[in-house]
Amino acid sequence: MDDEAFTPRIVAFCCNWCSYAGADLAGVSRLQMPPDFHVVRVMCSARVAPEWIIKALSDGIDGVMVLGCHIGDCHYTSGNHRAAKRFALLKELLTYIGIHPDRLLVDWVSASEARKFQRLVTQFIGRVRELGPVCSQAREAPATEHPGQQALPHGERQDTCPRS
Amino acid sequence: MSPAVLVVGAGIAGIQASIDLARMGFEVYLVERTPSIGGRMAQLDKTFPTNDCAICILAPKMSECATHENIHLLTYSEVILVEGRAGSFRARVLRRPRYVNIDRCTGCGECVERCPREVDDEFNFGLSHRRAIYLPFPQALPRKMTIDPDHCIYLSNRDKVSAVNPKKGPCRLCEKVCEAGAIDWGQQEETIHMVVGAIVIATGFDPYDASQLEEYGHGRIPNVITSLQYERLVSASGPTSGRLLRPSDGEHPRSVAFIQCVGSRDVNHNPYCSSVCCMFATKEAILANEHDPELRSYVFYTDLRAAGKGFQKYVARAREEYRVAYIRSRPGSITHCKDTGNPVVHYEDTTTQRVLEMEVGLVVLCQALIPRRGQRDLADVLGIELDEHGFVGLPSPMRRPWDTSVSGIFACGYCHSPQDIPDSVAQASAVAARVAEMDWARATVRAG
Amino acid sequence: MGEIRVGVFVCHCGTNIGAVVDVPELVTHARTLPHVFHAEANAYSCSEEGLSSLKQAILEHRLNRVVVASCTPRTHEPLFKNACAEAGLNRYLFEFINIREHCSWIHSQTSQAATEKAKRLVRMGVAKAFLLEPQEETESAVIPVALVIGGGIAGLTAAVNLARQGFRVHLVEKAERLGGVVAQLHRLCPTDEDASDLIEPIIRAVQDDRAITVHMPATVQEVGGYVGSFRATVATGDDRRTLDVGTIIVATGADVLLPIGLYGYGRFPNVLTQSELEARLETEALRVGSAVFINCVGARTPERPYCSRVCCMTSLKNAAELRRRNPDARVYVLHRDMVTCGIEFERYYRRAMQMGVRFLRYDLDRPPQIVGGDDAEATIVWDALRGREARVPSELVVLTTPLIPGLDNQSTSHLLKVPLGEAGFFLEAHIKLRPVEFATDGVFVCGTARWPADVAESISQAYAACSKAAILMQAGSVTAEAITAFSDPDRCTGCGTCVPTCPYNAIELHHRSPTPGMACSTMLQVAGVNPVQCKGCGSCVAACPNGAMQQRGFTDQQMLRMLEVCVSG
Repeated sequence: MDDEAFTPRIVAFCCNWCSYAGADLAGVSRLQMPPDFHVVRVMCSARVAPEWIIKALSDGIDGVMVLGCHIGDCHYTSGNHRAAKRFALLKELLTYIGIHPDRLLVDWVSASEARKFQRLVTQFIGRVRELGPVCSQAREAPATEHPGQQALPHGERQDTCPRS
Repeated sequence: MSPAVLVVGAGIAGIQASIDLARMGFEVYLVERTPSIGGRMAQLDKTFPTNDCAICILAPKMSECATHENIHLLTYSEVILVEGRAGSFRARVLRRPRYVNIDRCTGCGECVERCPREVDDEFNFGLSHRRAIYLPFPQALPRKMTIDPDHCIYLSNRDKVSAVNPKKGPCRLCEKVCEAGAIDWGQQEETIHMVVGAIVIATGFDPYDASQLEEYGHGRIPNVITSLQYERLVSASGPTSGRLLRPSDGEHPRSVAFIQCVGSRDVNHNPYCSSVCCMFATKEAILANEHDPELRSYVFYTDLRAAGKGFQKYVARAREEYRVAYIRSRPGSITHCKDTGNPVVHYEDTTTQRVLEMEVGLVVLCQALIPRRGQRDLADVLGIELDEHGFVGLPSPMRRPWDTSVSGIFACGYCHSPQDIPDSVAQASAVAARVAEMDWARATVRAG
Repeated sequence: MGEIRVGVFVCHCGTNIGAVVDVPELVTHARTLPHVFHAEANAYSCSEEGLSSLKQAILEHRLNRVVVASCTPRTHEPLFKNACAEAGLNRYLFEFINIREHCSWIHSQTSQAATEKAKRLVRMGVAKAFLLEPQEETESAVIPVALVIGGGIAGLTAAVNLARQGFRVHLVEKAERLGGVVAQLHRLCPTDEDASDLIEPIIRAVQDDRAITVHMPATVQEVGGYVGSFRATVATGDDRRTLDVGTIIVATGADVLLPIGLYGYGRFPNVLTQSELEARLETEALRVGSAVFINCVGARTPERPYCSRVCCMTSLKNAAELRRRNPDARVYVLHRDMVTCGIEFERYYRRAMQMGVRFLRYDLDRPPQIVGGDDAEATIVWDALRGREARVPSELVVLTTPLIPGLDNQSTSHLLKVPLGEAGFFLEAHIKLRPVEFATDGVFVCGTARWPADVAESISQAYAACSKAAILMQAGSVTAEAITAFSDPDRCTGCGTCVPTCPYNAIELHHRSPTPGMACSTMLQVAGVNPVQCKGCGSCVAACPNGAMQQRGFTDQQMLRMLEVCVSG
């Protein structure tokens, strides 16, 4: 794959009360960002299951962001605490299975931190570009059936990398 | 007929009272003088002692207020007449023209981009400019534009426009770029009539004019600002996008002095204590240090009043983690070092009896908080008494800490006594229960 | 399940979206997606026109899933959900995609890339919508009866207000008398009226009101249930009674710290607490020639860092009283800050000064010393502001101590499953904006149980708690938004990992019989979520090791499908 033409595919899980609102404010403020990320709304960062991250990365999503409320501000009191703990553990696991832990970013964005959202997104996209496509790592993995081989809703089948 | 209540003032107290009353089944008319609900809390960056982002915790309540089927928002409006008595007040509310059709305006903001007229931004306490057509702040609700008739080029020159060709006239750029066709020059002021069983006053406070204390140089020395101006500087949505840059040269200050009791506890100005300043100075000092860990903050205080939940711990944190120094002193004067632009604080440290001076990068005056401009007029309209400072008078402050001198009219929050946000919120909910226990309310709510 | 028929509605939002994202191309693309039977563009989807068009399309094309691609769900989601409902579609079969704040407004220079991103977002929305299920909101009845625990000023006030609003109230008081701390005070500040003038009428009001049942002396032994239908067991001696209530108000008050071992208390008979002084002022014609009040005794120390809020006023009140009884008395207040916030309290402070009460500031690291033989005779104190030692004659030494959490707070906390916070006072849901509510629905707190408060504040907080309780009881029912968690009993292994993750105590393990034909024949334990308590955070779902727990509207299957679709193309 030609790395110069590499446009990362990124998903950002944002919690309804803080980070999604912060992303909204970034939009309202017209803060420009590269278009390589997709916000997925959850009610709380605690909803984000570590399995989603693993599935995302193995599907070919090059980087995942999980953005929640600042510690102490969680709308559900303790959700972000749990998320922080789960993802600290997950980062270790990613390293262990050979995926660069920088492909997962966990941070806290309040509803008024539009600039922080812009900065985090822009920096993360830059970092993921540096790391290259996640599939280039997957090529080193044993040649078992790649999870990306399951049928996608539009009937396309991919070979080794869902995003070749 | 559903029983109705009129709430005057849409800051946190007015918003909370409205929500509780609406949830109980009352129709609520929430009248707000400015174009948006939100009040002073929307102007704060963070709130003590949790350092919650103020607008983040306020926005859901604003949203509920704006969408609850029982709450009717009347922004950019004022109460001009009230007659009758508890159980059936007849009120008249004047809605000023925005010159923008709120059914069409989508809040996209194109008009603001094009408006050529700059005006001092009152939301940012004069630290920046807004346009003649504006949204008071990014999270304003309703998210609709307003044209300031005093500064709009077209509106202030409208009389000079030829009657023969009314389409001509200076500017009108907003109208040209508005895709939704929402500009409505013909909009008139509107009078809304209502019959309500009770009235709740929640008009909050204004900052005292700190320049009245000439010895402190506000308005004369550029890097002497007020606490509320400071809030806007450190707010992410403020004039410097949250960077602590001082007015004279846009530099980061290396040290900040907070002066307490500016115009408070002072027989020459306001003898009372404004209640919240010790705490928000501590918060602001912490925020200064968060912006720049090298920055040193100094709080010049008389009595450190930190009596609420978590407050003493917060002060201890400020001292230990953020190295905020508390100096027991009420400075005599502040002078200006012209070379550096630094203000110089002249004071006696009362615990050492030494007279000293301290040159700092920025001085923040924690000024007294006084009743809102227009409170006297509102009091006349409602027929209620004010105390000697202009706050809403409470005839029975211990037993009925919200009842005004007129039966059926209640007050909550700062408009009657200096208090912080949790106290104001508790009072707002309390007033809802107070309204609900009135005879007329019980009769109608039971039936309805 | 019949055929899934998705409708996609793309908003131009004037030029806000349309100027950057190629809306017609987006609509064309949407039409190619599986299960999409209709796609259209609107100038403004949220306008009257846009909403009518939406409703009409649902009926005309028999749509049973709706995707709107426009601005942020945080503003207009309820609007569109209502529109769906009006067209006969379950409001939970709706998905909102943000292509304005999260697309056109932030990628305004790269129109093509923004359009491609919008297409992906729409695909993700359609994929999720396909997997949405209709949901019914759970309604649960609220019994219009309240339980007030504590018969002090806060509890009494709450009981009277709720009764006036038309609800029945059970008031439980553990002592033999009503009135709490206020009934033991001499005068109240800043009005200087007799405490009995305030508390007696309200005690009578409670006793006379037929809607209020007073259980005294009694304690609450057990509380089960949840908001709207709590079941409380109240014990009076050996007698036990079960009460079914909809809401609970905690007004259990606070105790006063006894300064044992401090400043000669217990050793000198003339070293008293404020309470002891008030009792003597009430019953005797007490008159002294000199008195020293020491404030912050056992407060604002490393062991107990908080300020008890009401004590400075108490010391002023009683110091002024002693001056009043003997205008020649030398009365000193030794303090470490005078906390008299607001208008009236500051005025009271000034007046005490004018009445001749003297003030002296001391520091924690140089506390006053009491000297004397059998009795305390003098106080030696380092005057922090004059920088010298002072020796003050002390016929009476009065120690101002803080309010401390009631001894029962721990047990009440377990009983009601509500937390304690700083120093052991009850912890409310949010310190700024929800001062009288607990995170657990239906339970409220007011007065000094929550934090030191004066009479006016306790009355205010009591009314505030009543407002919250009345909202529930007035409505008669609570409805939960259907984004709650639910557990599949056939997959749940009863491991219990989910239970402690819930901040609202909404999950319980309960027993269920095995399904016929299951290999295991013993009783199983499975998790059950109370949809009325559940707030929809999803923490339990992420914690569940085998996917038994899911969240309506945010299931693993839905979210994973969105991820798959995001990658393709």
